[in-house]
Amino acid sequence: MLRFKHLSYLRQCVVLLLVLLLFAWLSLFTWSIVPVSASQALMAIMAPDDAIIAHHIVLDIRLPRVLIAGLVGACLAVAGAIMQSLTRNPLASPSVLGVNAGAALGMAAVSTVTPWLGFFGISTAAILGGAIAWGIVMLLGTAWRGGNEHGRLVLAGVAVSALCAALMKAMIILHEDQASAVLTWLAGSVAGASWHQWQHFWPIASLSLLGAFLMSPTLNLLNLGDDNARSLGAKLGWTRVICSLLVLVLVGSALSIAGAIAFIGLLVPHMSKALVGQDNRKILPLTAIMGAALVVMADTLSRAIIYPTETPVGAIIALIGAPFFIYMVRTRTA
Amino acid sequence: MKPMALSFLLFLMVLVLVAMSLSFGAVSLSLNEIISGFSPSSEFYFTIHEYRLPRTLLAVLVGGMMALSGALVQGVIRNPLASPDILGVSHGAGLAAVVLMTLFPHVSVYWLPWAALCGGLCAALLLWLLCGSHSSAIKLAITGIAMATLYSSVVDFLMLTRPLEINNALLWLTGSLWGRGWDQVAMILPWLSLVPVAFWLAKRMNLVQLGDDVATSLGVSIPVTRLFVLAISVGMTAACVSICGPIGFLGLVAPHLARRLVGGRHQILLPCAIVVGMTLLLLADLVARTIDPPIELPAGLMTAILGAPYFLWLLLRTK
Amino acid sequence: MSLSTHDLSVGYHDKAIVKQVNLSIPDGKFIALLGPNGCGKSTLLKAIARILTPLSGQVHWHGENLHKIPSNQLAKSLALLPQTQPIPEGIKVFDLIAYGRSPYTGFWGRLNTEDKRIIDRVMQETEVTELADQLVSELSGGQRQRVWLAMTLAQDTPYLLLDEPTTYMDLSHQVELMHLLRKLNQQGKTIITVLHDINQAARYCDHLIVMKEGEIITQGSPDSVLTRDMLKTVFSLNAQIHQDPIAKTPMCVVE
Repeated sequence: MLRFKHLSYLRQCVVLLLVLLLFAWLSLFTWSIVPVSASQALMAIMAPDDAIIAHHIVLDIRLPRVLIAGLVGACLAVAGAIMQSLTRNPLASPSVLGVNAGAALGMAAVSTVTPWLGFFGISTAAILGGAIAWGIVMLLGTAWRGGNEHGRLVLAGVAVSALCAALMKAMIILHEDQASAVLTWLAGSVAGASWHQWQHFWPIASLSLLGAFLMSPTLNLLNLGDDNARSLGAKLGWTRVICSLLVLVLVGSALSIAGAIAFIGLLVPHMSKALVGQDNRKILPLTAIMGAALVVMADTLSRAIIYPTETPVGAIIALIGAPFFIYMVRTRTA
Repeated sequence: MKPMALSFLLFLMVLVLVAMSLSFGAVSLSLNEIISGFSPSSEFYFTIHEYRLPRTLLAVLVGGMMALSGALVQGVIRNPLASPDILGVSHGAGLAAVVLMTLFPHVSVYWLPWAALCGGLCAALLLWLLCGSHSSAIKLAITGIAMATLYSSVVDFLMLTRPLEINNALLWLTGSLWGRGWDQVAMILPWLSLVPVAFWLAKRMNLVQLGDDVATSLGVSIPVTRLFVLAISVGMTAACVSICGPIGFLGLVAPHLARRLVGGRHQILLPCAIVVGMTLLLLADLVARTIDPPIELPAGLMTAILGAPYFLWLLLRTK
Repeated sequence: MSLSTHDLSVGYHDKAIVKQVNLSIPDGKFIALLGPNGCGKSTLLKAIARILTPLSGQVHWHGENLHKIPSNQLAKSLALLPQTQPIPEGIKVFDLIAYGRSPYTGFWGRLNTEDKRIIDRVMQETEVTELADQLVSELSGGQRQRVWLAMTLAQDTPYLLLDEPTTYMDLSHQVELMHLLRKLNQQGKTIITVLHDINQAARYCDHLIVMKEGEIITQGSPDSVLTRDMLKTVFSLNAQIHQDPIAKTPMCVVE
């Protein structure tokens, strides 16, 4: 790791991309009930052959799953990095600041009260719910004033999350017929990924990722503090509005596909900051790659851990992420 | 005199709520029917004696004890944001109970409270090790929450990977009084012996409010008092959690309301917090099972829906 | 000499702030501890008040090791007012002052007539009688400081240790406080106070102890302690010593 840190930024990116591709390739053929060989996984993409069942499995089941897992990871990780710059708070991330719980509440509300709205209704509800929850957290946590009150923001996030979770559970219990769908979603899993979902997901996600990369120089200015950023010509209000919108679209679209996956947004930005320092222009792309790699890896693990039963990927990431959260709290709060 | 009048009023409220809790449900009973229900010859004997009475008693006992342990923790850490559930004790107890239920399903449920107790104690100890005794209010609260997050993600993991036992655990984890009977009342009764100990500590807790230096200079040993009070509080919390599951925010809100009503002298605060806790849990349980019968919401959800906004309001006020 | 220290070193995390101090506190005097910031005067005071355990050496109380004596017994002899206090929520002024009686009361903290008489007296002395029913959290900084002082006085001890008691007070209350302390001293209390203002110390106290970098530089009456050389070595100040035209005590004027 130490030696890796001294590589040039471009080489780091290339190495990590190769790691991501390796994970993705592994994910295509390992732990499959119908045996798929390593070479078949490659051949299925290069030269698909309708007659081979393994190719069907790779193309129709595994490939969309890997793609969605990767993109979800990238979206959540980048959203976390933006939130950390926006609030100047190293503990900020979608799950900690209540966006996940708010999105879950929005989804539960829509799917229990108006189940006929379908996929778009649900993802809009998730985005709206997340937006409202996050707005409340930011207001109550006095985040816009910046400063060193890292703890207050987190506590506000926790309380809002608890409220949303309680309301959501109440809704599920009162409308029991929709309960199983919401519960599955809550566990956080990409097991049901399909090309149909991918088609809805990738244009929004990649556009917002692009937008995030374009915003990274402005985010750098925010790190300097309000007054300095203003004197350097940043329009603070607009930057915040645009970045918040980007975060909400990234998180909302990722969550509505993959369910409540926590801690990616907290964990990954810190890993990339440890590699490349505080420059958001470097952090964001690296974060995207690492987030994708992490979720693809966790998804592979989720099939392996109690083979042949699938464990939701969210549970595995939470097990990795929670100790890291404790470590962050211990080192980053006064 | 004013606190006396208030306590009397609160006590009256508890009585009214107890009566209501006995009366409302799938069948509504009149006061006469309730009273007659205590004799075995009555047609309501089963409903009252086997179902509603133990449940109401549990609400009273658990509500009181959760509130008392919250008041103790807040007092001794001098932290308005502290409470057993914020410090991760409830989640630790919950984790231990889920581990017992999922990994050792053949073990008798009578071991559940003990497992929960061990879990709660371990969680408290771990937090103590991580933070030491000189942490700021907010740091302690967030570390507790981070620990709680870890425990709950392990719980999620266990429940998701062992779906066969999930129903049992889920029912227990939502924090509900549903289906609890005389067995559970008997389980919680021994823990009531901790209540007089808490009262005995009231005077010292007053002095702890004055800061470590002044308290020491007034002859109170801070580490001993802290250890005693926290041990009692963890014990009571774990006992409650082992029976009703984690009832969120009750241990935070009840002592606060009590403090606003009667001030910060623990000789008055502790009894008042107990009565407020009873009132809140009775009320939450009552609302939870009358909101949309015959479906029952867990009482723990109701306390969270009311308690979380209160916590946010507190957070705004804490400098 | 009821209180004395022997090779006393005190500090935090093994780093000594007070170094090998040998000091005898003269009984019945009004003593000021002086010195620049970080010289260890507050740390020494806390060690004497048994709040901090020494790294090495001992504090003696009537010839016995202070830290071996039961704390509730010492609470009737030594009272400490720290520099900053928490603001307890929901506590009334009267209740806070009554907490000062706790070394004398039973387990429930019930006050007898003697306790109430003493509380009334100290409330008059510190002029907080009319605040009795207000909440401590709603007082101004100066009022709160007087209430805490009253609490310490209610402890009714022959020794009183104060850490910069004048910090949050306006000038007139500072003067009143120093007069009150001098009156208490004349009634027989030994008072040890950390002070910032050298002239204030010289004017009201009859014994000054000057510290620098954890060691005691000099001690004695204001006339013998307050010299040009001392100000130069301890505070790095060039100052002249004049006589206070009213109190006839020494007074330094910075050049």
